[in-house]
Amino acid sequence: MGLLSLGTPLSWEEAKPLVDLIRERGIEQLLNIWKKAKGKERDILLWGDEIEYLVVAYDENSKDARLSLRQAEILKDLAHDKELQKAGGCVPSLQKVTPRAGQQCPTFHAEYGRFMLEATPGAPYGGTLRDLLTVEPDMKKRRVIAKQHMADNETPVTMTSFPRLGVPGVFTQPYYPPHGPIARSLFVPDEIINPHIRFPTLTANIRSRRGSKVRINMPVFYDEQTAKPFNDPTVSHDLFDYPEDADVRNGAAKEGHVYMDAMGFGMGACCLQITFQAKNISEARTLYDQLCPLGPIMLALSAASPVFKGYLTDIDCRWNVISAAVDDRTEEERGLKPLHENRYVIPKSRYDSVSTYISQDPGFRPEYNDVEIQQNFPLKQKLLDGGMDEPLAKHFAHLFIRDPLVVFSESVKNFDINMNDNFENIQSTNWQHMRFKPPPSGEDAIGWRVEFRSMEVQLTDFENAAFSIFIVLLTRTILSYGLNFYIPISKVTENMETAHRRDAVLSDRFYFRKQVFPHRHANRSGKETASTNSGHSSPGSPEMGPVEDEYCLMTINEIMNGQSGPDGFPGLLSLIESYLNSVNVDVETRCELARYLDLIRKRSNGTWETAATWIRNFIRSHPKYEKDSRVNSEINYDLIKAAEKLGSGEGEGTELWKGLFERR
Amino acid sequence: MSPGTTAAMTPLSSAIIFSTGNIIKGGRSTLEKSNRELINSLRQNIKDASTADKAQVANGSTSPKLPSWFENKDDVIYVPGRTEPTGLGEERAEYDITVKLFYLPGIPIHERCAHTRQALDHVLQELGVSSVDLLIASFPDVSFDAEDHSEPSEQAVAEWTQAYRTLEELHLENKIKKIGLAEFGATRLSKLLPHTNIKPSVDQINVRDCCVVPKPLIQLARAEKIELLTHNDCTDILPSAALNSLLQEDSATFGSFGRVGAQWVVKYTAVIQDRGVVENKGYFAMAKPASSS
Repeated sequence: MGLLSLGTPLSWEEAKPLVDLIRERGIEQLLNIWKKAKGKERDILLWGDEIEYLVVAYDENSKDARLSLRQAEILKDLAHDKELQKAGGCVPSLQKVTPRAGQQCPTFHAEYGRFMLEATPGAPYGGTLRDLLTVEPDMKKRRVIAKQHMADNETPVTMTSFPRLGVPGVFTQPYYPPHGPIARSLFVPDEIINPHIRFPTLTANIRSRRGSKVRINMPVFYDEQTAKPFNDPTVSHDLFDYPEDADVRNGAAKEGHVYMDAMGFGMGACCLQITFQAKNISEARTLYDQLCPLGPIMLALSAASPVFKGYLTDIDCRWNVISAAVDDRTEEERGLKPLHENRYVIPKSRYDSVSTYISQDPGFRPEYNDVEIQQNFPLKQKLLDGGMDEPLAKHFAHLFIRDPLVVFSESVKNFDINMNDNFENIQSTNWQHMRFKPPPSGEDAIGWRVEFRSMEVQLTDFENAAFSIFIVLLTRTILSYGLNFYIPISKVTENMETAHRRDAVLSDRFYFRKQVFPHRHANRSGKETASTNSGHSSPGSPEMGPVEDEYCLMTINEIMNGQSGPDGFPGLLSLIESYLNSVNVDVETRCELARYLDLIRKRSNGTWETAATWIRNFIRSHPKYEKDSRVNSEINYDLIKAAEKLGSGEGEGTELWKGLFERR
Repeated sequence: MSPGTTAAMTPLSSAIIFSTGNIIKGGRSTLEKSNRELINSLRQNIKDASTADKAQVANGSTSPKLPSWFENKDDVIYVPGRTEPTGLGEERAEYDITVKLFYLPGIPIHERCAHTRQALDHVLQELGVSSVDLLIASFPDVSFDAEDHSEPSEQAVAEWTQAYRTLEELHLENKIKKIGLAEFGATRLSKLLPHTNIKPSVDQINVRDCCVVPKPLIQLARAEKIELLTHNDCTDILPSAALNSLLQEDSATFGSFGRVGAQWVVKYTAVIQDRGVVENKGYFAMAKPASSS
């Protein structure tokens, strides 16, 4: 969740005159880091996952499952655990954590939602295949430790979105009424926000900067008894406490949609994110680009959030909800009014899909960056003058069109070019589906990294491990074979939209590259060269055809499991299998990895369900479901209990488990 | 120069060395079973070499000389001709280099010693290294079968031992850090072990239906500290018929070889250990004109 700097945060009105200064300093810090670290070489593969949990509190008397707001207390309890202290500590924000070899303690972090907890492995995983087998046990251990430090009626659940966040009445423990001064939401209280000053400030400043509350409309799933047309009945039109109460009178809530109006609806969702260290800056740029087209595919395959604000919706994923939940663009920036105070018309939220590729690989063609993006040209010039190349300078100049949202007065007074606080202020509030991460300044140990951010958290650690491992194996396969997944970036954005549709994993098709192998050059001068490059053709390499001929629409099953025929797309799984056949793998590791890859295979071909489908079916077949799209507290209670059972592993082998991991 | 003009080379050469070059970025063929991967990448490598030659000649950039896809030196023919060795991109210590040597059926046992050294030398030269981390020996008559408990004949054990001696020598010469075997079940392994001075570190098995490894093998491997690795290679890696039909595709060039018989195949991989990236993978194969073998 970015930096948790302490200090006095400025309101949006106070921060506004300083935004150019923060950005300029951010660029100076970036340039400083880049100059120091651009020659960093031969860093080993280290990687880690981040898993987010909802902390649920049961009320057994009323058979209700609510969100517990005890994040801070749970973290304190974790920090005070004597055994965990002996193992080096596990809450970096509250104690000095000193990882000890051999007894890695996972680390726990606060998140935006006061009902959330984030956990990461205590130390990064290593680069061997055997290390992959430690992922699932590590995830399970985290869940057990988290649970041990919760109250008896509380439990961590890895569900992407809490189905009843924002319903009328009680959904938190303890109850707070909605409509506080920070979010000004009709539905959620300010008390769901992590009270660390950064988070309320972020919430308020996004709202202030935007000039209205955020506006999230997700299509309702029309069931047999759902009112048609559907007008979200939970919306109050007659409040006059804040100026933003007028939003709904001005049409903020769209017909046929579930309407949400606060950052918490998005940033309260749980994700599964993976970060890798690359060997050098160039490999990091390659991985950033090559994983980029995989973002939407993995979003659809990991789909786990069909319910928002107590309603079944017609989407399966959280992504667009978060995107809208942190959309700080003004009306001018959204193109609704002519530019007057603002500099740019910006087509996307700060939280959105990537809009520009950054690698200089021979396989890249300029046509792939087919979207004109806004750039902060004066700052870009500084980067270029400092020696940075065009594609990378463009990437950062694009991130730096955004304003800093949380400015601490202390950090304005104390500028240190050898820090990265100003840079990270912009960088870490650009939530794109990939993140390119320079080494933190002054720390030689850490290299250039890439974060894969689109996946939804899965109900079980088996699935979370499988998705993480799949991505790691895919990166090794990409690097070994020199694979090329480039498609025009506008198609990646289109795929991201497609991924949200109900059951997109089986019902929709996605743009994907047909020919992913590098062209082999007839190069007899010694070193093998392989490239898909170059504008002009050299002997043995075919002429570059039109970009449109390089990709087509494929189902996720085809992308993962391959198309038939000798020229069909071979499938990512057979590419990974082939990689595994090229390296030394011991029998146990190979068999375990097969289990994880099998999950991806079966999810893709429809043998096993996504969590989104499973949740949907659970609700629609519940005896208390009235076929009206509403998820009442009884259904929710049973659903959360089932999710807990699956997540803790207790469900293994039961009918419940088979429901998720058995042929539909 | 047309390929046909080179047919003047001697058909009496004692050996033909085939090489694929680095195939890791070679595209689709890497998805195939090892036998097809080998044939297809040989075909590709020959084609690439001849295309490059023709282009060079057409450009007039160099004076016509013997095409580089074909080289006859010291009574050995190289197909394609040798080029600068690829070498490694980084420090030797970063790599895990594995070599798998396939002894082929019908080849006199007494030649295995020389074949082993030859094959390894080609790999060492290509990668520009003085040793490999693991050499796995694959015998033609040995294939792992979970159901197979039959006792190997004394003759078979003697033959394995004979070849194994060479591996031990290479280990003592520091050219091989670890010795591996392919497809040895528990029965075979326990017969061979008493004859070894340096224990094998690896037994590489093809677990088709993953995870069904017989208990005796697991126990024996654990007791003897032998690591069980997986592979997906084809035992019949290079049938001579396949090689001959490859040569017939370009009979103008290779017609004078007559029929050839494959003698050995070696597969090598160089993996950057800390990053799990395969940097180099390729094959060499040696064949003899049928008349001279």
